[in-house]
Amino acid sequence: MISMVKKAALASASAMFCLAPGISQADDVNVAFFLEWATPNLIAKTDGSYADAMGVDVNWVDFTTGTAMTEAMLAGDIDISYSQGLAPFVTAIQQGAPLKMIGIAVVYEANDCFVHNGLGIDGSNASELEGKTVAVPLNTMADFAFRSYMSHYGVDISTMNIVDQAPPDGAKSLADGAVDMACLFGGIASAAGAEVGTPIMTSAEKVEAGIGSFDVISVTEKFATENPELVKAFMEATEEANSGFQGTDEEHAKLAEASGMSVENSRTQVSGFIIPSAAEQLEKYFGEGGLAASAAASLGLVFQGDSDGSMIAKTIDGSFLE
Amino acid sequence: MFEWLSENRAIVAAVLIIVMFGLFVWSIVVGRKQAKLKANDEVFGDPVRTKGGWYWAVTGVTALMLVWFYYSWGMARAYFPNAANEMCQIAKLEEAVSPIKAALPIGSRYYKSTLLASRNSDQLEELLVQLPATVFTDGEKTELQDLIIQIRALIANSSNPENLNQQSKDELVGLSQRLNELSSFLEAGPGDMTPSAEALAQPRWGTTFTEIPILPITSKGMLFDAASVEAAEIAGTFNKVRNRVPENGRLIEDIKERIEAIKETNASGSFDEQVTADREDYVKAVERIFKRLDDGLIFPAAALADVNSAIAELDDASHAAQGGLTTADALLFPGPGIVKSKTQCTEQGSARWLPKPTDVVATFMRLANPDVEDGGGYRGFPLLWWDWLPVSNVVAFFVPDWIADAWPGEYASHGPDGTITPNFKDKLLAFAQGDVNLGHVPMLDGHIWDSLFRVLVALALGIFLGVPLGLFMGVSRFFKSFFDPLIELYRPVPPLAWAPLILTIFGIQDDGKIFLLFMVAFAIMVISARTGASGVQLTKIRASHSLGATDRQIMWNVILPNALPEILTGIRIAVGVCWGTLVAAEMLAGTTGVGFIENIARTVSDYELIWVTILIMGVLGLIFDLIMRWIIQKTIPWRGMG
Repeated sequence: MISMVKKAALASASAMFCLAPGISQADDVNVAFFLEWATPNLIAKTDGSYADAMGVDVNWVDFTTGTAMTEAMLAGDIDISYSQGLAPFVTAIQQGAPLKMIGIAVVYEANDCFVHNGLGIDGSNASELEGKTVAVPLNTMADFAFRSYMSHYGVDISTMNIVDQAPPDGAKSLADGAVDMACLFGGIASAAGAEVGTPIMTSAEKVEAGIGSFDVISVTEKFATENPELVKAFMEATEEANSGFQGTDEEHAKLAEASGMSVENSRTQVSGFIIPSAAEQLEKYFGEGGLAASAAASLGLVFQGDSDGSMIAKTIDGSFLE
Repeated sequence: MFEWLSENRAIVAAVLIIVMFGLFVWSIVVGRKQAKLKANDEVFGDPVRTKGGWYWAVTGVTALMLVWFYYSWGMARAYFPNAANEMCQIAKLEEAVSPIKAALPIGSRYYKSTLLASRNSDQLEELLVQLPATVFTDGEKTELQDLIIQIRALIANSSNPENLNQQSKDELVGLSQRLNELSSFLEAGPGDMTPSAEALAQPRWGTTFTEIPILPITSKGMLFDAASVEAAEIAGTFNKVRNRVPENGRLIEDIKERIEAIKETNASGSFDEQVTADREDYVKAVERIFKRLDDGLIFPAAALADVNSAIAELDDASHAAQGGLTTADALLFPGPGIVKSKTQCTEQGSARWLPKPTDVVATFMRLANPDVEDGGGYRGFPLLWWDWLPVSNVVAFFVPDWIADAWPGEYASHGPDGTITPNFKDKLLAFAQGDVNLGHVPMLDGHIWDSLFRVLVALALGIFLGVPLGLFMGVSRFFKSFFDPLIELYRPVPPLAWAPLILTIFGIQDDGKIFLLFMVAFAIMVISARTGASGVQLTKIRASHSLGATDRQIMWNVILPNALPEILTGIRIAVGVCWGTLVAAEMLAGTTGVGFIENIARTVSDYELIWVTILIMGVLGLIFDLIMRWIIQKTIPWRGMG
């Protein structure tokens, strides 16, 4: 329910816009985010808490891929990307993009690789996957997860026939039996994959093997150096939104609407998220030898082969969390 | 040889650019001379007028290449190989002072203090107007109004130069001085600074993964690099300066306490849910603005004027120290120039997405290297090479497996001693599945061949099925009426729309991709053949009929030759559209192909690779078109002569 204060605020804000002769300034902040990715801070986005906390207008622009977010940030249209995948962030850094990672948006279970049910392959006989055909969206977090699983089970990837397919296509090919395994992301594709296949690793096994993914909050160097207080306010508002998320029905309804999903799907999705608090992030991810740097470096090695881990570490900056 | 070329890309480019510029001018001179020669004996509209004229092709190609060299900064790199590194050092200085500049009019039109004062005053004004009448008591309302007035006083106190305390004053004066010293340092010039050995050992601009080496390699670069270190320290100090007005200190304590008091009342639980929420929202809004103002970020404008002018002076000094570099920057570096990120310097503007022609050639050569083990090819597959193709694979493609299933009898199973004796049915299955050795034939192999194969097969199918159908639709009432709705219904659908269906129907092998391309080629062929057939001059058909030609003869000797110009034009269009659809087709389930390379390159923003694939497709399309033009010339020389 929108409180009276906010209604009045909206009305008078629009009135101000027309009448106030004050200082005209183009200091809006442009934030990129994903639809169908129900991070609790979307509630704060809907409520306008970000604009309140930062004292400036915040424009939210939805994107479909992290690579597109990078492009928009490089073109100067986006200042902050919320929940950009680690993979596009790392590849952007490797191309020399002036971006930095300032926080962890969400930690979630690594994307699943579904083995076709008819094959009878699971973790115990994973080596049978050698010589099989696999659908993988190359250079994404699902690709990273796929490589992590295979190296965990000691399966030789070079023997496999790897087909580059977007998740919806991969799910379809898995159902048709055209591929033997499909690595997928996204709620709808994963649900379709689960219909005909079984994840090669269960959630518990993934935790045990230390295979996980996280999305980052990235910001352009320019914006961070010129407006550190806005970045800080953004991170504070995010922290407030995350810690204030109780999981009530009202919140879930809001979240579902903000993320463009059904209440049920968004509820399932958000239940799989772990959102580390600022303090946890500083301790586990952004400290000396933290997870953020090591994960980024290993990811960089996977995709390019000639990345320098120490280089990526320089673009990681936890100071805005303090 | 290749190593040498790669090492000396800049010099090669420098020579190339001069040659091309010469060619460009020369071809225009020749072209004008030729035009003058022929001007008198040619009629406007005569097709002969378009014959020849290769010199204009030279003009076009060299102009395109020169534009490419210019916008990709290839020219800049060819003639100023150190400029990028020096601009990188300047970018370091720019980046270092950017936090100061962002707070001053020189960088962002207004003082940051001005913006803070104006924005927060406006928002306080709004809050005052919106003070909810029903949820607060009259006493609380007066209290809140007073609070807002007090918060506003914070802004007023900070903005008054008289309130600026000595410490902040000294700090700001010190900063201005340091900035002025930095300006004189830049003005003094590099002196005898020499770049470090480590810096000189760096790879050069654009020859490696790192686009622009970050350590300074010239004395000018050293100067700016040193200046940027000092500037970063100054900026750090600047960020820490606060305007601690003593009056505000007391006010802040007071406001804090009063807000806490209201918050306590809110939390006491004596209001219903809605009222509590409204009260909390309001107090939170007040507190938020207060929090933005309690840390002394607002300075009197006059206090910052000195810093502002010191920065302006620094800009001038930097500009003077850059010397001729500014001209080079303005002339040869279109776009925002070079920007420093945390780890390296990058090109911003057209050069970021438009790789230099020489680099594109180098990337192409790397891909074209057939030695996959030695880093050639792409993803373990050569670009275009040859390989031994087992004949059995071809047989397996044509012989379906069910033939073996249909053969009477059972497949063999292992005997009691664990051995297997294959019977005829097993052998038949092995044959149908290509598990037999029938020898090998040399066959083209690689990404380009795979794409080419898909396009060629699709095109051939499109021609062999589409042309007869089109011709019959042109001459037969049944064919026209029967097929017209079918073809017209599917033709306007963009090929990409078929993609999901095709994946389900054909799976991930080549046949699906070929079918997608076939659909495109087929529609075009039908339409062009039909147009050609129905456009045949009636007199020709009647003449041949009256001379006793049979239907077949009329079709073969009159209609087909007369429809050929349309059909061949149709093929030319179909080739182009097929290449256009290829990227989409190979996105379906990519394992090989030019479109596959492009799709993968896109996910890592590897623009050199993207341009290589674009050029490969362009050149292949061009070759196809040249072949088609040759065929047109040979088969229908009468075209346009009637």
